[in-house]
Amino acid sequence: MLKKLFKPRNLAIMLVAVGMIVVSSMTPFLKVPKPVVSLAAEPVLHIGGFTISNALLTAWIVMVVLIIMAWAATRRMPKDLERASNQELVPSGFQNLMEMVIEALYNISKSIGGSWTPKFFPIAATIFLFVLLSNWLGLLPGFGSIGILEPPHYASQQGYEAVGAILTGTPAEAAEHEGATTDDAAHGAATGEEAHKFPGYIVVPFFRAPSTDLNFTLALGLISIALVQYFGVKALGFGYFKKFFDVSGFKKGAFDGVVGIFVGVLELISEFARILSFGFRLFGNIFAGEVLLGVMAFLIPYFVSLPFYGLELFVGFIQAAVFMMLTLVFFATATVGHGSEEHH
Amino acid sequence: MDLTALGTALAIGLGAIGPGIGIGILGSKAMEAIGRNPEAAGEIRTNMILGMAFAEAIAIYALVVALIIKFV
Repeated sequence: MLKKLFKPRNLAIMLVAVGMIVVSSMTPFLKVPKPVVSLAAEPVLHIGGFTISNALLTAWIVMVVLIIMAWAATRRMPKDLERASNQELVPSGFQNLMEMVIEALYNISKSIGGSWTPKFFPIAATIFLFVLLSNWLGLLPGFGSIGILEPPHYASQQGYEAVGAILTGTPAEAAEHEGATTDDAAHGAATGEEAHKFPGYIVVPFFRAPSTDLNFTLALGLISIALVQYFGVKALGFGYFKKFFDVSGFKKGAFDGVVGIFVGVLELISEFARILSFGFRLFGNIFAGEVLLGVMAFLIPYFVSLPFYGLELFVGFIQAAVFMMLTLVFFATATVGHGSEEHH
Repeated sequence: MDLTALGTALAIGLGAIGPGIGIGILGSKAMEAIGRNPEAAGEIRTNMILGMAFAEAIAIYALVVALIIKFV
């Protein structure tokens, strides 16, 4: 075990790591600025009147990666499954891995969806893979650290001095710019100067994990709940909406009718609450994870943040699984309808 | 007087009480169940982690509110 650890390659890696730690702690130039926590995704590109935020850019990257993965996994599959020999059907390498993942997902879908599995599975599996990749991509180095240098967006943000394209850890002095800002205010603030109101620079990253953008998670929640309604109508016809506007209780008396309507209103509210809880659960978990990693890296540098990377990998997987499971459960309950009331 | 920091701390501090109790109950019940039926440990653990993720989500809502108070 110990012998394996001290192979020449590992020794070289350790030496480089220790060297980097020593150099970075001794050179003031390599002191890094404190991380900027931005709750909203920031715009990085403008195409015409369309603003592309860093989270949207990364979501597109996730899509491209998923498409390439799908292509690579099905590339060696025989075109004609009926006439293919057994030798050709045996998967290997990447295809084998993906078949394992898809099979595990299919078994989970089957245990919840039952006979509806062929309809549910593509959506559930897509949500799982998309969310999983979006969660994990944010853990890569370069996310949140490579970007455009911009002046701070508002007064409470601390700007830093930049040397060339690299942001240093030296906070920009507010004093030398103080005169300029008051001058501008006195002369009616030229709009061109507006952006340079605050001293120094901050990094607006090119890439940001899509799950740390509330728009992304809410959109996924909306899609999921909209599909719940779709499957409900598909399974039960328009009788599905009886769940929300239940007037059948009036046959038994005014009191039962009012209770039925009230229950319907509650159902309607809980349907919207599900969208919000979908959105906030994913956003909160992943965003909090990134903040945690940032805080840990600056609290005790170098090694203490490593276990938290493991934790974030785990949380990313769990959240993707939870999103998929909840979607499946909501699908399943929508297709079953409220059978209990019909038995009365 | 700026009470933002106090608000942030109260939001996450109070919001973590309920989920903390919930996760504690979940964990203790799961341990009990595994003790009674060790063969089902794998399934119990999976369901426990799922349940914990739901309980944790409540704390995460509080955290989101705290982050919004702090950074917006």
